[in-house]
Amino acid sequence: MQTQSSRWLGHGIYLVIMAILISGVYFAGQKIDYTWHWERLWPYIINTESHDIVAVTDGTAVVDASGRLSITPDYGDDPQIIERYDTLVSRNGDLIFQGDTVARIDGWRFGPIAEGLWVTIKISFISLIFAVLLGVMFGLMRVAHGQVWRNLAVTYVEVIRGTPLLVQIFIVYFFIGTVFDLDRFTAGVAALSIFTGAYVAEIVRAGIQSVPVGQMEAARSLGMNYVQAMAYVIMPQAIKRTLPPLAGQFINLIKDSSLVSVISITDLTKAGREVVSGSFAPFEVWFTVAALYLVVTGGLSLVIQRLEKRLSASD
Amino acid sequence: MIDHLTQPDSQILIKANKVNKIFPNGCHALKDVSLDIQRGEVVVIIGPSGSGKSTFLRTLNQLESISSGNILLDQVDLTDTRTDINAVRTEVGMVFQSFNLFPHKTALGNVMLAPMKVLNQSKEEAKQGARDLLYRVGLADRMNNYPSRLSGGQQQRVAIARSLAMKPKALLFDEPTSALDPEMVGEVLDVMKELAREGMTMVVVTHEMGFAREVADRVVFMEEGELVLEETPERFFHSEHPRLQRFLGQVL
Repeated sequence: MQTQSSRWLGHGIYLVIMAILISGVYFAGQKIDYTWHWERLWPYIINTESHDIVAVTDGTAVVDASGRLSITPDYGDDPQIIERYDTLVSRNGDLIFQGDTVARIDGWRFGPIAEGLWVTIKISFISLIFAVLLGVMFGLMRVAHGQVWRNLAVTYVEVIRGTPLLVQIFIVYFFIGTVFDLDRFTAGVAALSIFTGAYVAEIVRAGIQSVPVGQMEAARSLGMNYVQAMAYVIMPQAIKRTLPPLAGQFINLIKDSSLVSVISITDLTKAGREVVSGSFAPFEVWFTVAALYLVVTGGLSLVIQRLEKRLSASD
Repeated sequence: MIDHLTQPDSQILIKANKVNKIFPNGCHALKDVSLDIQRGEVVVIIGPSGSGKSTFLRTLNQLESISSGNILLDQVDLTDTRTDINAVRTEVGMVFQSFNLFPHKTALGNVMLAPMKVLNQSKEEAKQGARDLLYRVGLADRMNNYPSRLSGGQQQRVAIARSLAMKPKALLFDEPTSALDPEMVGEVLDVMKELAREGMTMVVVTHEMGFAREVADRVVFMEEGELVLEETPERFFHSEHPRLQRFLGQVL
């Protein structure tokens, strides 16, 4: 039995150890003469500066009576019309060269890190849905009666688990992506779902096999066919048992999604790399990127814990 | 007492004819077992463990396939590949030793599930039927409990109600009281006796000799995959058959 006081003592010691670790990181930074510039990071997350609107071709600026700005190009093309701006930089009749700032727009925008985070969430979420579909399908095949199904499922699982995700991403992007003309994002989602699906299939198989044989017999003896027994009796129990390992797999999926940056998808990791070269604050950037991954994975853990609690009503 | 040999065939609900079962590992579990079960009859099967009595019971709703012979339910051959086995199973209910209630459903949900999914009853209809049945087995106050919150005896009574919900022609009991604490055996046997009185056709594998003596129309003794003896209870328990004597000497 743990007493109340020994628990508080435990918490206290834990805090001391954490404080030592964190100050260790701080002094390590000092030792290599690193100056921390956390404030440099903000524009890369949320940019509040006004941003420039530039001319796309050489031409002449035209500001009409209602204040609308357009640029009439020197050669033939349609004029570039600027619908919305806050400050005018050029004047009516100005000669404009390509790349010139003609106006500015105020207000905030998401910076590259926030946009990268959004891409990571999007790609993980879509991949998660497909991974579950693939995993349930192959998990069911793995326990099916037909030998063909079982062989197919075993092949899928073994091939995917036995090769590195990084290699799979390259194969999906450069081979399958070329054959079927996939864009980067689709290729990334495909590689991640196929990879995670293999692990989900094994988890689903284990879940189904952990349901006692008597459950299937009881369902069949009531006249249910195999599909009904699976859908109404076996799977609801199997899913409950598989939630904890599935949670782990989904968290892996979010982290593995960082690998899609190798096919130039600007996810959180690639955004981090780009921001490092612009901000010259590598430590701050990578700590921030890590923290953002932690927030996403932590959020997912929380959702699954809630779900587990709800499903445990029958325990 | 019904003498099954003189009854016309239409009175026979289940007819097992020279049933053999050889498991893939070579174990010859059933050897030429033949047994006719009349409508409304209660047949109790006893025998030592490993005698094939549970295997035989499980062949009657084809949870276990058979190697040769045939089984007729209401003159439908279960071993015929054209027979819709799922339809047959709705007509023969089964109660298991380990209850096998669906743990993710309440007592009411357990009873309602098959009528809704297999018989396509509406939710209200199934619920009404399930309520009546749970009331009948004395669990009116336990309807919304999950199996984990029910005692063994209560779980087995829910399982009986679940089988009855399909309005079966016959019920198979596979050692229904063997997993129960002694003080709960009575409540399950009472429900079974009540069913027998109402005329339900029952095949019961059990070690409860008292139940056999009191309720059975016929008692069957199996040993080493063979049907050794079938008799009325009075004659059965006074039989001089040496193999039966040896078995009864061990259990009584």
